Amino acid sequence: MVERDAGTTEGKAGITRRRFTLGVLVASLLGAAGSVLTLLKVLSPEKQGGGYVTTIRPGDRLVYARGGETGVTVRASSMKVGDAVLVYPSSKASNPANLVQLIRLKETDLKPPTNIGLTDQGFVAYSAICTHLGCTVSWVENQKSPDASYTECFCHNSIFDPARGAKVMGGPAPIPLAQIGVKVTGEGALIFTSDFTGPIGPQV
Amino acid sequence: MIFKWFDERLEIEKFKAKFLRKTFPSHPTFLLGELALFSFITLVMTGVFLGFLYEPSTKMVSLFGAMVPAAYASVVRIDLLPMGLIVRRIHHWSAMLMIAAILAHLMRIYFSSAYRKPREINWLAGLGLWGLTMFAAFTGYLLPYSQFSVTATSIAYFISKSVPWVGDWMSRLLFAGEFPSEATVPRFFFMHVMLIPAALIGLIGLHLVILVKQKHTEPPANKNRKEAQGGKRLIGLPIWPEQGVISMSFYLFLLFVIVLVSTYIPLNPVETYGPPSPGTPVMRPDWYFLPIYGFLKLIPGDLSFSILGGKITPETIGGVIFPGFLVLVFASIPFLDRAKGPQPYMANPLRRPFMTSFGIAGGVFLCMDVVAGYIDVLHIAPQTMIIYTILATLAAGGISFALLRLYNGKRGNDVT
Repeated sequence: MVERDAGTTEGKAGITRRRFTLGVLVASLLGAAGSVLTLLKVLSPEKQGGGYVTTIRPGDRLVYARGGETGVTVRASSMKVGDAVLVYPSSKASNPANLVQLIRLKETDLKPPTNIGLTDQGFVAYSAICTHLGCTVSWVENQKSPDASYTECFCHNSIFDPARGAKVMGGPAPIPLAQIGVKVTGEGALIFTSDFTGPIGPQV
Repeated sequence: MIFKWFDERLEIEKFKAKFLRKTFPSHPTFLLGELALFSFITLVMTGVFLGFLYEPSTKMVSLFGAMVPAAYASVVRIDLLPMGLIVRRIHHWSAMLMIAAILAHLMRIYFSSAYRKPREINWLAGLGLWGLTMFAAFTGYLLPYSQFSVTATSIAYFISKSVPWVGDWMSRLLFAGEFPSEATVPRFFFMHVMLIPAALIGLIGLHLVILVKQKHTEPPANKNRKEAQGGKRLIGLPIWPEQGVISMSFYLFLLFVIVLVSTYIPLNPVETYGPPSPGTPVMRPDWYFLPIYGFLKLIPGDLSFSILGGKITPETIGGVIFPGFLVLVFASIPFLDRAKGPQPYMANPLRRPFMTSFGIAGGVFLCMDVVAGYIDVLHIAPQTMIIYTILATLAAGGISFALLRLYNGKRGNDVT
């Protein structure tokens, strides 16, 4: 006998066929959704401890990060007041968290919150990774009045004042660029003397 | 002869009578959706060509003596092939045209109020198509793996990471780990050439099936003629041959324009950007991302707080909450409209002061966000730009509303 109106036919256990089928359907859909969640978990790799973790150690030599002299040691004598360059610690260029902007300012222009103890002969260095969305910052040089030069991220125009601890002067960056200690060696090269003073890269 | 052979087996005549005689109402703005569809077809065809030659890998290889990522090298090699550069430009220009056509189509639907009952579902499907197209464009940004690609994708990575609560996990899912990771390019390549186009094709199909089922909106001028005829059939051109021939000529003309533009106007000069390197020059995204790009510049950096353990940063506000809010506004439009009952005709935007001036205000707001992307060259402070944006939006909405009320009051029109 074929039951035509399966939905209203009571089974022995007191549940209708329609309800049973629906239950099976819902259970299988939940199972399928569960397996999709597992797959999504598999598809998002675990944190590698990557992101912006610097490998700079005190004593690392500063080398140019770009241009024709990439990899060449930065010499203190090659930079005059108002100059800035992008540098890496020597032989540690593969890590973007190691990218640093080295600036030479007039020693008397450096004001708190700059950590003066981490500067030498007007050389001051900050992380070059913008704290907004991770672009590399650039140096906007003002030829007429060097103390009006500043660091800017060209992605969304965050502006930092390197004479005052890379304080945010404008734009969407939430925190200053982290400072890092540098000093001029006896041979006229530059080396790092400390770790970064704060977090580097976007604060998300 | 041949037709008869096929007809005996596939009943083509029956199909023709049922579908190809359907009418397509004529109005110049009714071709905008087709424009988007045709751009998509061009994108698929050029994409197949590029897909044969592109290498989705960031492994370092030698190109003219320099070590560059394999993806970058393969794009440079495509550009050097006969026709290679122009196919790549046609692909990129078509993507821009597709998004422009989608926006124009959306504006047509909005201002003629064609989203009203019973077409709410198709409005949402259309928004989905817009979103998927933007996503396809975004995944395409990374593939040449130039300095521009990596900078743009890195920004998007941090934006997705800034989503409260789930951002960390979501960004690792989307970018296959922490960007830049060697797994990102293969994942983006797969999404760009397979996942998103497949979803687009499916959703385009749904969009068109719903259109055929519900019938196209008609110009109000058809109303009297239609009622005189008994009011069942749409007034317009049959799909085949009349409308079909118009559409095909239109597509061929479009191809001509795209090829012409691609021949003379360079776009995404990968060789000029160079492979990824330290240092970020001034770069702006393609025009359709400019409102978000500009909005990101307006959010002050000290605006961050936590709610329920979720961190809201300036990046979250500019890159997540702002676009999310836009999506919400767009999606809720058909449900907030006060019109009741099925609406078979286009509305006259002049007779709908509120909806029209709301649309104008929204458009001005987005344009001001585009301008905000240029505050660095315009030398405007972000705070000043925020005030300009608010003032321009309110003024555009208020003035157009007042003018439309005045216009309808003078003519004694009913407004809705």
